[in-house]
Amino acid sequence: MTKKFGNFPLDRRTFLGGMAAAGASAGSLFGTTPSFGQSKKTGTVRVWGEPGPYGGVGVAAMNEWAQKNAPGLKFEIETIPWDGVYVKLMTDLAAKRPPSLISVESPIATQMMAEGLLLPVDDMVDKIGRNRLVDGVKWDYWGNWKGKQYVIPAHHQPHLLLVRMDIIKELGLKDPETWDWNDLLHAAKTISEKKPNMAGFCMALGRNLCTDYHFAALLHSAGGRMFDPANKYQVVFDSPQTVEALNFVRELRPYMPKGAVEYSFLQVVDAHVTGQTAMSFYWGRTLGRAAEEAKPIFEATEAFNHARHPKTGRRNNWNDFQGWCIPAQNNPFIDEVKAALLYQQTSKEWLIKYCHSLMPNVAPTYKDIADAPELKDHPFYKSKPKTVDTYFRTSLANSSSTANEMLQGANPLAGYVHGRSVLAQTVQKVVIDNMKPEDAAKWGARELEAIRKENVRLLG
Amino acid sequence: MNSASTLWKTVKNAMLYLILCVVTFLICFPLIWALSTSLKPKSEIFATPPTLIPHNLTLENYEALLTGRQQYYQAQGAPQNTGTTPAQFFTRWFINSVIVTLGSTLISIAVSTLAAYSLTRFRYWGRSAVPYFSLLGYMVPSIIFVFPLFLMMVRLDLTDSLWSLILGYVCITLPFCMWLMWAFMRSIPIEIEEAALIDGASRYQVFRQIVLPSALPGIIAASIFAMIVSWNDYLFGRVFINSIDNLTLTVGVMLFFEGTHVDWGLLMAASVLMTVPMAILFMALQRHLVAGFGAGAVKG
Amino acid sequence: MHILRHLQSDRAVGLLFIAPFVITALFFMVYPIAEAIRMAFYSYNPLRPDLTAFVGLANFEYIFEDPLFWASFWQATVWTLLSILFQTVFGVGLALLLHRALFGMAFFRGLLLFPYIVPTVVIALIWRWIFNPEIGVVNYSLIASGIIKEPIYWLSTPAMAMASTIMLNVWKYTPFVVICVLARLQSVPLELYDAAKVDGAGTMRRFFDVTLPQLKEVLIVVIVFRTIWTFNKFEEIYLLTKGGPGTSTFNLAVYSFEQSMASLRLGVGAATGVVMMIILLIGSIVYLRVAGFGENEK
Repeated sequence: MTKKFGNFPLDRRTFLGGMAAAGASAGSLFGTTPSFGQSKKTGTVRVWGEPGPYGGVGVAAMNEWAQKNAPGLKFEIETIPWDGVYVKLMTDLAAKRPPSLISVESPIATQMMAEGLLLPVDDMVDKIGRNRLVDGVKWDYWGNWKGKQYVIPAHHQPHLLLVRMDIIKELGLKDPETWDWNDLLHAAKTISEKKPNMAGFCMALGRNLCTDYHFAALLHSAGGRMFDPANKYQVVFDSPQTVEALNFVRELRPYMPKGAVEYSFLQVVDAHVTGQTAMSFYWGRTLGRAAEEAKPIFEATEAFNHARHPKTGRRNNWNDFQGWCIPAQNNPFIDEVKAALLYQQTSKEWLIKYCHSLMPNVAPTYKDIADAPELKDHPFYKSKPKTVDTYFRTSLANSSSTANEMLQGANPLAGYVHGRSVLAQTVQKVVIDNMKPEDAAKWGARELEAIRKENVRLLG
Repeated sequence: MNSASTLWKTVKNAMLYLILCVVTFLICFPLIWALSTSLKPKSEIFATPPTLIPHNLTLENYEALLTGRQQYYQAQGAPQNTGTTPAQFFTRWFINSVIVTLGSTLISIAVSTLAAYSLTRFRYWGRSAVPYFSLLGYMVPSIIFVFPLFLMMVRLDLTDSLWSLILGYVCITLPFCMWLMWAFMRSIPIEIEEAALIDGASRYQVFRQIVLPSALPGIIAASIFAMIVSWNDYLFGRVFINSIDNLTLTVGVMLFFEGTHVDWGLLMAASVLMTVPMAILFMALQRHLVAGFGAGAVKG
Repeated sequence: MHILRHLQSDRAVGLLFIAPFVITALFFMVYPIAEAIRMAFYSYNPLRPDLTAFVGLANFEYIFEDPLFWASFWQATVWTLLSILFQTVFGVGLALLLHRALFGMAFFRGLLLFPYIVPTVVIALIWRWIFNPEIGVVNYSLIASGIIKEPIYWLSTPAMAMASTIMLNVWKYTPFVVICVLARLQSVPLELYDAAKVDGAGTMRRFFDVTLPQLKEVLIVVIVFRTIWTFNKFEEIYLLTKGGPGTSTFNLAVYSFEQSMASLRLGVGAATGVVMMIILLIGSIVYLRVAGFGENEK
């Protein structure tokens, strides 16, 4: 039985058949679990997910498992808006009513795992297959703390530079693939000047998570960072690189929509999909929505790795290595969730459905899925092969995240940083209050230092 | 002279009506516009120039809310089942809101009516302090109550249950119900009660057959205010409730807004449906409301 | 005399009737407030209740040194003063308009009081919809009628965001002032006006000499009440702007909420709450003074 799990991909029927045949002896699979795959418990299993259909697809797979193995259970997705995550996190965990399974951005997963709130899942990794990940990523990226894996990959989702190629061609601008920061700025300026009623570029500048993420990518491209994991997470934010990134945002600001200072996720997508901007930073979701609501804009938009920083040559994106994690305390359905999650993770059909539910926002994490011909059976692959490939594969070389800055080590403080929107507030000091970038960097560094001091326990 | 003054009066009245109409329209415009948006199909919502009276009247937004039909993410032509969407919970949230509103109002009113009777008809230590204590209580904003109450609910194992909200709303409605009932009860003449007592009626009979009927206007006014406060609350619902089926309308509807896709037609339909119960209540009992304001006991 | 004694003798019933209130008040009013005050002296991370520790006045030191706390305080002051000013002016104006025996007045009265009962969530949503800079009907109408050339970004600059929240607050709570003033106007003796008319006073003179003095008392009460509530309002601001852009529409309630929730510092949030309570206590004392309570009690 255990051997069979080594042969991936394993299709659903084989897996189930194996389960049935194993019968009572299947208990050995999960160590302490007396009967894997069969549960008599009843009730609703609460699952947290991001806004969007993929969480629902993941849960649909789990419900298929439940129908066969735990007829009394129903998995139910609770969509947590990004900017509502921290309220939800506090109230649910403090109320001792956590969901049984969480799919959430990596900074929060990292924070929870360092706080000791999550269940280690190394046993599941073995069953899913340690060598199954696509090239260029490691299990650590999703969530590994002190040698233990706490997070099972759900997807990865980088934010890229979305460009309306019709406008670029019309104005005779260079191929965005070759751009550095100056070219991006120049393009934004040219578009704003030549196209009435259209902004050249759009990113989030509100006091929210989206701004934190967008700015972090610029910071990392400039070679700056918030904390230094090699040196006890000392704050290194008050740096020339931070100032450079802030200056770049300030230079871009005149070419962004006027309302950008209150934009969060939704509004950046809206700005692109409604044609208010020719370029924007965003995850693949923008294309998914454009395809539904604004076909011409969908057809004209392509995604690129970010413009290079002129000196460092880095083109970092903020990639959410989003995974499934299981709260360890007050969780009545741990065994059931593990079994159902394993069922989803080992079903090629469900994993492909998951990716297809919002193309090209959620990228496949396993080789067998990424290479599957069924995955390519989607209209986006035909109309935008390069863009899809950039989201799914070639962006990985430039991936970074606040939860794992430049992929050099998990950062358990990122959750607090985003909870307080420290990066976004730093940016807003510059674009709203006209503070000098040097002073804003100092302000941000002080906030980060306060977070570090209050949470030294996490750094152990 | 006489006809001139009549003419002047007519003109003056016409002007007055005109001003009234303009002011009323401006004040009600946000609500009218919400109603109008909710009755438009998607294509007309973003139309320029915007239309005040929908050309293509549709009830699809209401239907989507009341039947829980899936509304978004049609994957590549074929609609795909992507699990639950907030719209599917709308009727559930509506019922939850009704339960917590009625529950908390009932408790607040019962407790404060009994207490007001006792305070105005009996004499004991501290009785004059209670109304002032209540007055102070209803000045305290809910943001101060919310976290201590939340931690209390955690200890009582009541979080994520409608009971937490019922009790929480009692905490914010009781003080002003108390104040209002006290003010009202004080103004009811005591002579009939005295006569009944002399005739041999018991305290309970007097309370049920004489006091309650004459206190009814006060009870109605206090109930309306209590219901408005409970129905409109956002903060307690946001903090006390964890699972999606136990949310109330106010918190649930904000979920529509915070996703990646705002369906304004759906949102405005939800807004209209959320306002309707209070509007009906308000229209039906308007004169009592003014009486309540007169007693100086309103929360806002 | 004999009857009165009889009335006040059966204490058992009296105490029985007051008991539910005392119990409820102890549990749901006294305890939470006491707990809120206690929490202000502790560091309390709700995710790690095991790490709770007494920190003395550290939370108060923290907020008094935090520029954002003071910014929130002053913004709340501006927000409150302007909101109250407009509410009072519009409220009195509308009440005078409605205080006429004209046909159909009840209908107008009903409609004009309507905003008061609309849930804040609904208002915030409608506001974001009609004041949306790109697709909102307000900007469209203003541009179409030639009043403005460029769309107004209602929530994107600190000044406009403040104006928008004030507008929302005024829209929602002016009816409160109207109802209170209207109730008072209905009890102004008509003879006063007749006397003024005989003296040949014009409309304005009659308003300042007769109406306003009669309204003085109710206006003071309403203003004090509204000031206390407006200063501590949470939902109106949080649902419309979340305190933004930047932190330009933060008030103390939003500050307290953000500290408690996003920063997981319940102690700091509670300390802010204590400051708010002190402010409202001062306000309440003013209220009791001006309203003259206790004087008509035996």
